[in-house]
Amino acid sequence: MDDLLERAVGLMEQAGASYGDVRLRRDRTERLAVKNGRPEHIARSESEGLGVRVIVDGAWGFFGTHRLEEAAVDEAVREAVAIARASAAAQTDPVRLAPVDPATDAYETPHERDPMAVPLEEKLDLLVRATEAMAGPNLKLAQAFFSAFDTRQQFASTEGARIGQHIVQTGGGIAATCIADGRLQVRSYPNSFRGNFATGGYEYVEAMDLAGEAPRVAEEAEALLAAPPCPEGRRTIILDGGQLALQVHESCGHPIELDRVLGMEIAYAGDSFLTTDKLDTFRYGSDAVHIVADATCPCGLGTFGYDDEGVPAQRTPIVEAGRFVGYLSSRETAPAIGRTSSGAMRASGWNRIPLIRMTNVNLLPGEAGTLDDLVADTDDGLLLTTNRSWSIDNKRLNFQFGTEMCREIKHGRLGQIYRDATYTGITPEFWGACDAVCGRDEWQLWGTPNCGKGQPGQTARVGHGVAPARFRSVQVGVKA
Amino acid sequence: MSASADTSRDPGERERHLLGLAGAIVQASPADETEVLLADGREFLTRFASSRIHQNVGAEEASAVVRVVVDRRIGVATADSLEDDALTAARESALAIAEASEPDPDWPSLPGPRPVKPVKAYHRATALATAQTRADFAAAVIAAAREKDGEAAGIVQIEEGSLAVVNSRGVAVATSHTRAETNALVTCGDGSGWADGVAMRLSDLDPGRVGKRAALTAEKSRNPKPLEPGRYDVVLEPSAVAEWVQYLAYVAFSGKDFDEGQSPLAGRLGEKVTGEQVTLWDNGRDHRTLPQPFDYEGQPARRLSLIREGVAEGVATNYYRARRLGKRVSTGHALPASSSYECMPMHLFMKGGEASAKQLVGEMERGLLVTRFHYTNVLDPMQTVLTGMTRNGTFWVENGRISHAVRNLRYTENVLAALGRIDGMSKRLRRVPGPCVVPTVRMRGVQFSGATEF
Repeated sequence: MDDLLERAVGLMEQAGASYGDVRLRRDRTERLAVKNGRPEHIARSESEGLGVRVIVDGAWGFFGTHRLEEAAVDEAVREAVAIARASAAAQTDPVRLAPVDPATDAYETPHERDPMAVPLEEKLDLLVRATEAMAGPNLKLAQAFFSAFDTRQQFASTEGARIGQHIVQTGGGIAATCIADGRLQVRSYPNSFRGNFATGGYEYVEAMDLAGEAPRVAEEAEALLAAPPCPEGRRTIILDGGQLALQVHESCGHPIELDRVLGMEIAYAGDSFLTTDKLDTFRYGSDAVHIVADATCPCGLGTFGYDDEGVPAQRTPIVEAGRFVGYLSSRETAPAIGRTSSGAMRASGWNRIPLIRMTNVNLLPGEAGTLDDLVADTDDGLLLTTNRSWSIDNKRLNFQFGTEMCREIKHGRLGQIYRDATYTGITPEFWGACDAVCGRDEWQLWGTPNCGKGQPGQTARVGHGVAPARFRSVQVGVKA
Repeated sequence: MSASADTSRDPGERERHLLGLAGAIVQASPADETEVLLADGREFLTRFASSRIHQNVGAEEASAVVRVVVDRRIGVATADSLEDDALTAARESALAIAEASEPDPDWPSLPGPRPVKPVKAYHRATALATAQTRADFAAAVIAAAREKDGEAAGIVQIEEGSLAVVNSRGVAVATSHTRAETNALVTCGDGSGWADGVAMRLSDLDPGRVGKRAALTAEKSRNPKPLEPGRYDVVLEPSAVAEWVQYLAYVAFSGKDFDEGQSPLAGRLGEKVTGEQVTLWDNGRDHRTLPQPFDYEGQPARRLSLIREGVAEGVATNYYRARRLGKRVSTGHALPASSSYECMPMHLFMKGGEASAKQLVGEMERGLLVTRFHYTNVLDPMQTVLTGMTRNGTFWVENGRISHAVRNLRYTENVLAALGRIDGMSKRLRRVPGPCVVPTVRMRGVQFSGATEF
């Protein structure tokens, strides 16, 4: 396979490319779903091919092929060069790349048990036992999920980089769905939408104790069905880790993508309120808010050795004591802010170009102790747990989230359960109202395995480390 | 048989090649039942922003989905390759999965063959469009936007491919398609506008018209004024209508969700679920959509009534869900066996009315004109409550005329209930990328629950 890479690099140089890279990538995926005690959906997939990216006449071209043979490599380079030449006709300024030292390296994410090699029977048994541990009069769906992703990639560039990577990611979770009288309530663990995910092996899912948590999850789904709807009003809220991770994802992670900021995504998902004039000056949040983009964070779902431009993984400050100080960037976009790439370019497969994607965008732990401490410190508020829905405008300002569960807090104690809770706000006002973040003991990594971006569409697996946090005077529910 | 022969530019030859490959895998399978779905094609996408091409990509892609059944135990494996080794490995992987699984007592069998009439879905010149053709198309959109001092961003996309489904009960069908899509988001200062189009033939899309339409909206939407959230009458342009109809399909019209009691239509077929103005159906054979003659189980596409005059009439099924719901055959809406969603209507239509889009605005005393929605998501599937934002042209209408642009608003609304408040629809239907064929509609009292700053 190395021969194909070297052939592609040689052909790109011969074609007069000022820059070129080639990625030969193989993805294996396994997804298991168990419903009501029996396997419902088991699927394995495999995808292998190579993608050639060139700059010719100052413009980009890309072509991918699933055919791993010399003739197909030749054709892929020819197509990529022809596409670049067509792009160049409408180009005003040639693409310029921030410098990077070309690396020769190999990287692998740590994992103890290869999730693909664990016998199917063992994985199904774990999931079946979890669904059998859920019970309740209105429980219609007791579901358990397992997913594993194994990516091997060889990267070579005309600048001399030669990088091999092997990324192993694993995830799982359970969900109880209760239905009665035309109402439906779902309760999940450890997170909604098929659970939580990380770089790591099967040991990550084994440690979740899905069967042990299952009875509580089912009980809470039943309780939600009987609970009153969450009342509307301005309230103090505490977000648990799962919900806060998605809040960070949508209201910080996406708006700091420098390609969005520069208008490259404007016709699809939108641009960003965090325009370049705000860098180093804009007050994004309160003094309690410290955020980094950290691709080096152990076990994060967005952890890797090098991005898909061969830039080493980095930890980039984003928000320091509430002040906005950094972006996720690429070699092409970083010069626009006078910096080098933050190493955030990743592609979803061999057939897609790398785009600026979140790594692990983490809210750093604060000084509010444990979640119990924070609840005890709250006189009147709501604890909102586990995401149920999300929506945000195309500049990432106005958001609305729904959560699976809501608990009233009165005089420092948890009380009434409410269903169908939502909250809404404007991003910098919301983060400006953050007055407490729990400490390191509560800090946990959450994986978002389905982050969509780009055309053609790409799905990235990214991470967020957070500890629960408190926000004052937030609009909960919808005013009639 | 080698898969690497370059048959990609002759659709007939490629279909025969896929049928031969799939047939060989089925033939050699030791399973009780085997189904093989193969796809092979190319996709090109030219993306422009700030009036220049900034991304320009192509890929040749193949995919195989192998489903086997052993003693009513099912296994599915996929590969993005048509090489013999990869296809054999996928079948072996599917067999291993089936052996590790549990029997499904409800498994009826794979579906048998049913007559499939071909549809015209392939246009050779579109399949052969070059990078230069796409660049010229983008340049024409950009030029139209510049005439209004606008900056254009958007896409020109070309897709061409073939699909074959073969199973051990005798299904053996193949088809080929082309698809051309464009959109343009034009900004004029703080105003923005949108236009899009999708067709089987690239030549059916007019880049100058797309650029101009988006630029005209952008020009009108400058200097947007804030508007307090509240209930307002609205005219929704087809892009906005299509977003609601497609989300409604997602939460309500899946036979799987219906069977599991997770659809708001569960137990309600034959009941009035919205206003009698509302008639929705799916038809993969209609030339007004992007036709597809059969589903991913090789079953013929046909018209499926979903809601007729406000009454729930049907949901989309694959063969498994059809049999569980007591039907002899499916509605022809199976997704690939690798999808846990199983079945979904993919060629939606909404019946229009008698008005023109202009009349709908002209007859509105006070209210909003919405170009499109953004980032819609489901808050409550059983109540069909959605939330999302307006985008790229939201206007205040007073006494039948557009008064001024307003800043974007968040809606939170029960869509079935809101559709029940439609009081006017355009006669003309428009095909919106999805594809979804819908009118412009006017409805009373849509709930806008929040506002943003632009």
